[in-house]
Amino acid sequence: MSDGLKIVVLIKQVPDTSSAAGVNPDGTVDRVRARKMMNPFDQFALQKAIETRNAHGGEIIVVSMGPPPALAILHEACEYGADKGYLLSDRRLAASDTLATAFALFKTIEFIGNVDIVFTGLQTTDGDTAQVGPQIAERLDFPQVTYCEKMSIEGRTIRASRIIDGGIQRLEVDIPALITIANSASRLEHKRFYNVYRTRELLRDKQTLAKTVMTITLDNIGADPARVGLMGSPTVVGKTWKLGEKGGSCKMFQGDSAKHGVETLIESLSEDERGIEEYVL
Amino acid sequence: MSERIEYDVSLIGASPSNLALAHRLVELASRPVRIAIFEKAKQIGGHLLSGAVSNPRVIKKLFPDWDKGGFPLQGICSDSYLSMVGIRRWENIPRLLTPSYFKKEGYAILCISDMASYMAEELQKRAAEKNGVIVDMFPGFAAQSIVFEGDRVIGVKVDNSDNGVRDICHAKVTVFGDKGFISRDLVSKYNLRKNPQVYSVGVKEVWSTEKSFEGKVWHILGYPLAPGHLGGGFIYGCKNNQLVIGMVMACDSANPNMRPPQVLQDLKKHPYVQEMIRGGKLLKYGASILPEGGYYSLPDKFAVDGAMLVGDALGTLDVKRFSGVDKAMESGYVAASSVWEAIEKDDFTQGTLNSFQPRLMCGWVGEELRDARYFKRVFDDYPEILGKMIPDMVKSIDSGKGPVWAGAQFGLSDPLGSLRLLGARKMVESPSDKGPAIYRPDRTHINPNYSETSAMPEGFDQSVIYSTADVVFYAHTHYEEDNNHIEEFDANVCVDCIEKFDAAGKDTPCVGDCTAEVHQTLEIDGKRRHAMALENCVQCTTCEIVCPFENLRVKAALHGYGPDFSGM
Repeated sequence: MSDGLKIVVLIKQVPDTSSAAGVNPDGTVDRVRARKMMNPFDQFALQKAIETRNAHGGEIIVVSMGPPPALAILHEACEYGADKGYLLSDRRLAASDTLATAFALFKTIEFIGNVDIVFTGLQTTDGDTAQVGPQIAERLDFPQVTYCEKMSIEGRTIRASRIIDGGIQRLEVDIPALITIANSASRLEHKRFYNVYRTRELLRDKQTLAKTVMTITLDNIGADPARVGLMGSPTVVGKTWKLGEKGGSCKMFQGDSAKHGVETLIESLSEDERGIEEYVL
Repeated sequence: MSERIEYDVSLIGASPSNLALAHRLVELASRPVRIAIFEKAKQIGGHLLSGAVSNPRVIKKLFPDWDKGGFPLQGICSDSYLSMVGIRRWENIPRLLTPSYFKKEGYAILCISDMASYMAEELQKRAAEKNGVIVDMFPGFAAQSIVFEGDRVIGVKVDNSDNGVRDICHAKVTVFGDKGFISRDLVSKYNLRKNPQVYSVGVKEVWSTEKSFEGKVWHILGYPLAPGHLGGGFIYGCKNNQLVIGMVMACDSANPNMRPPQVLQDLKKHPYVQEMIRGGKLLKYGASILPEGGYYSLPDKFAVDGAMLVGDALGTLDVKRFSGVDKAMESGYVAASSVWEAIEKDDFTQGTLNSFQPRLMCGWVGEELRDARYFKRVFDDYPEILGKMIPDMVKSIDSGKGPVWAGAQFGLSDPLGSLRLLGARKMVESPSDKGPAIYRPDRTHINPNYSETSAMPEGFDQSVIYSTADVVFYAHTHYEEDNNHIEEFDANVCVDCIEKFDAAGKDTPCVGDCTAEVHQTLEIDGKRRHAMALENCVQCTTCEIVCPFENLRVKAALHGYGPDFSGM
């Protein structure tokens, strides 16, 4: 493989987990008002892609589906070191469930062509289903490794360890493959000055930009509009409701040493009417 | 493709000074120019904190519609008071007797963090309207070291990748507008400052209150500072029922344990302030230093080959007028002319760049700094002002006298001394030449055996008073495990320092003056040692200023780590 690997990373723009997003009367998240960020789970996938490319060569293509402002996370991914990006943006995609989304992204990956590895995050912070990655793998007929924490590549074989209940499962799959990265894998490293600089230059160079970060529609990827959006989504959301306000309280125990702090804590818990036994494992 | 990254102008710190410079430069640019702005905070403005009630004279030049919406004003001062405060009473000095430089009506009440973020956005828009003018901002990238070629500055190192050339931003001119994190290297390499810079430390809280105090400004003398300590409190009423409460205290104090955040809590214990914040909520906390040497701490030259100093890096703050933001901005505004001249001539040597120095000093910045040149020295030449006059007047006020009577009483009690103080007044108001004010570094004033204490009000509401550990929560600091931004040069020096101050029953100055409970002494291996909770740090650098053994250095934190001062 002289050209290295063709790596796709699926990323999504989600409401910033630290912003007070607010909820619409119908119980859905107010996506217009909320500040946006790259789905935190996807950051682990991007990091694994960067490590893989740096070790084996090739290129990283970030792919997202969303409204035009989602271009921002593709640019951000470039600042982290991604090489190219595609934003699948089409009004007909609105209200897609996981089945429809997976179909649209599957068609996008097919459109890109000759992809060796698809990395995805475990799940998104707004949907929380963890279904899209596996569904795409099925449609692509790629082997999949979910909850992957560590991996290495030798020739066309990926050796991966994935997290399972009570331990680690090691397995081997052949490239092409789809891998969803656990959030216990290595964290996304800080942006490098050079990559940020390069992205600033890229955003000014409209000709190169048009070949580097592209917005595509259902027509480009040849996806049947009937299989995406509300039409293509069999999921029915019955009802959503707010579980209640965040609560709780916190008390800081101070002391001139850790020992003193712990003593004060024990003292305070002993005075609790439930008794200190309540707090001892 | 060459990997060398080069801009025409590189600005270190998205400070009011550098942002004003960039605005002016974009305005002047009649041909393409490439400008880079580096900021250690995660977002532009994220590490900026000031009072701030400011003369809007530079803001008006840059944003003619500054008071008609858009520009982020917290309010415009409608009533300003100079207050004499005891532990029980609070008296505003009559307007007739208030020095003109304490009258702030018509001034802008600013949150400079929000101002910087607005200026940055506007800058992008204005640059986009000019062909070939590029402004690239790099928040989260702190200048870590200056890159020299011989005696010429050719750029700064802003990253630590394994590819050295990709880590440097080269520039024809690098302008330092930081609070010393990096500019001190330039100052010391070229030995630019013969008289040391001296500092105050400022701490500030933003409150949401039930009542609105918008437009009202108080500057406070007396309580809660101990006799002899230069400084004072300030309270500014902002829009949306927000109230800014702060304390500024000089670092040249003999007190090794100033505990700035707690002095601020003491101010809040006063019945007058208690009334203001009753039922309110603390929103934000922060701290910062103020370079206060003024005229006599200015460097010999404001530029060297390939680099310039502006704003706080230069030291344009005028402590007499509490005028920091406007002079810093003007320094950037004026510096832009010299930068543009250098670009036009393609000559970035000191000869061209330093045209900035006479330009600034012949204008109002130089004029006012010169006029205020003895303000700091007055308190050294006349220690009785802080040691006796103000404490005596405050006592009179607490015993129910009005401020005029308190002043008269002080005058009558010591007619000769009061006569002598007329000299002090002249030194402040219209000074004749007395030769330069010579400063000693702040750390040399510390006395481990300092014993001054001050009385406290009684019966205050404890719920609005915070421990330092608790108040730091409101600075919203964020650091990750790879952070290591305060360097301790020699651990044994700290052990000796701790022993010395322990013997006097005091904490070391780094512990006692810390604004964020970063420094601590812990018993490790049978010895009391210096330790740091860096995750608390608001990056004020007070510890470095007061360390008696010059054993600490606060570096610019990487990756945008630090407090979040937005809205401060």
